[in-house]
Amino acid sequence: MSEVTKQEQCPMHEVRRIPNDGTPTCPSPTFAIWREEGSATPLEYSDGHEGLIINRYELAKMVLEDKRFSQTPARMPAHHGEALEAQYGLSSDSELDLGNVLGLDGEQHARIRRTILNRYSVRSARGYESDMKEIVAKQLKHLMAQPTPVDVTEHYSQPISAAGHMRVLGIPEQFRQEYSRLFVGDSTTEEKVEFLRRVLAVKKDELAEDVLSDLLRSDLLVPEIEGLTLSLMVSGRDSVAYMITTCMTALLNNPEQLKALRDDPTLIAGGMEEFMRVGAMFLTLFPRTATEDLTLGDVHIKAGQSVSVSPVAANHDERQFPDPDKFDLSRDAFGHIGFGHGIHGCVGQQVARVEIREGVMQLINAIPSLHLVHAEQNEPGPFAHPVATYEAGELMVSWN
Amino acid sequence: MKIRVDREACIGAGQCALVAGSIFDQDDDGLVVLLTDTPSDEYVAFARKAATLCPAKAIALEE
Repeated sequence: MSEVTKQEQCPMHEVRRIPNDGTPTCPSPTFAIWREEGSATPLEYSDGHEGLIINRYELAKMVLEDKRFSQTPARMPAHHGEALEAQYGLSSDSELDLGNVLGLDGEQHARIRRTILNRYSVRSARGYESDMKEIVAKQLKHLMAQPTPVDVTEHYSQPISAAGHMRVLGIPEQFRQEYSRLFVGDSTTEEKVEFLRRVLAVKKDELAEDVLSDLLRSDLLVPEIEGLTLSLMVSGRDSVAYMITTCMTALLNNPEQLKALRDDPTLIAGGMEEFMRVGAMFLTLFPRTATEDLTLGDVHIKAGQSVSVSPVAANHDERQFPDPDKFDLSRDAFGHIGFGHGIHGCVGQQVARVEIREGVMQLINAIPSLHLVHAEQNEPGPFAHPVATYEAGELMVSWN
Repeated sequence: MKIRVDREACIGAGQCALVAGSIFDQDDDGLVVLLTDTPSDEYVAFARKAATLCPAKAIALEE
C-alpha cells in the first residue's frame, strides 16, 4: 500500500525494477499502473544505471521501428526479487559475435539476416507443414503412452520444439540426443560452440535444402556462420516449447475457449495471434540504446540511454486491445508484439506459427477429456533469462 | 489504391504474405514481391492491414 502511495506522489522519478508477481496469462498489475502513468517509466538496470521501460503499445512500436536505436551494449534490466548482477555478458566477446544478429545494427545486421530469410518465409513455413504434423503426431503418441498425470512441457512441448528446430536448421539425425541435452538442458557457451562446429563439419559434406546448408553456401565468414548458427540453435527453441505449454494452459484455464476451438478449428488462424498476444514470453525485449537525443511522442530519450520495450505490457494496452485481460480467440489480435517488431522481429515467426498450431490442435483433438491437474504458470515463477522472460514450467494434465 | 514496396527495407518477416497473400508474396530470397500493385476494392482493407503490420515499414500505400 505504501508503495502505491509513493508512486502516486512521484510517478516519474522513482526508478523501478521489473515486477515478478505476474504469470504469462495474467501479467503483474504493476504494468497497468505504469501504463496509466505514462508511455515510458524509469527502469533500473543490473549495472545500476537508469533507463526506460516502454509499456504502451504505440510507443513500443515506434521504438522498435526507429533506426536511431542500437542493439548494443546489452545492458540487462533489474528484476524484483533478484540480486543485482554486476554485468551479464550475453555475448562471449569472441569473433562469433559477428554473427549474433541480436547484437548487430543496420547494414551489418541486414547482410547476416538476409542469408537465412528464404527458409523462414510464409511459403517455406507452409512447406514444413507435413513434417511438423509428423513430428507432433509422433510426440503425441509418446505423450499418450505415459502414465497420467503427465507433464506436457517435458513430454510434448520441449521435444516438439527441438525436433522442429532440427528440421528447419537441418541438424542431422545423429545429433538429436546431443542437441536436446545441450539446448533443452543447461550447457555452457563453449559446449554449444564445440557442438555446432561438429554439426557444421558434417553438413559441409552433405549440403541439403535447409538453413545450415544455406549458411555454408553463403559468402559469410566462418565466425559469422558459427555465430549465426549459435543464435539460431538457441533462439526460438525454448520459445516454441513455451508457447505450446502456454497456449494449452490458457485453454485449460478457459474451458469455453477450448470448446470454441474444438467446435470450430478455423478459429486457430486468428486465434494464434491472440495466443501470442496474451502469452508473450518476453517481459522486456533485448534493450536498445539511443544513438542520439530523440523525442518520440511525449517522451524524451537521451543519447546513450537504455530503453526496454515490454511486449507483455504493450500487448495488454487497452488503447490498442479493448478489454485487454480477456482471452478471446475470436478477437483481431494482429499487431501484437509477441514476436517482437521492427528489424529484429522474430525471423522464425511464420514457422513458429505452424509448429505451435500443430502442437495445440493435435493435442486438443486427440484427447477430448484432457484436463488440467497443475500448471506452474498459474503461479508467479522465476524469470528464465536476464532480459526477463517467462518460463514454460511444468504443465501436469490427465485424461479419462 | 496503389501499393509500393521497398525491398531494400524488407526484412522478410512475412506478415504481408500472411494476412494478404493474394497481394503480397515472398521470392526465393524471402523478400517481398507484389502480385498486384492495384488491389481491387474488396482487398484494400487487407493491403492496409499488411502495411500496418510490416515491421520494417516497407509497404507504402497511395490512396
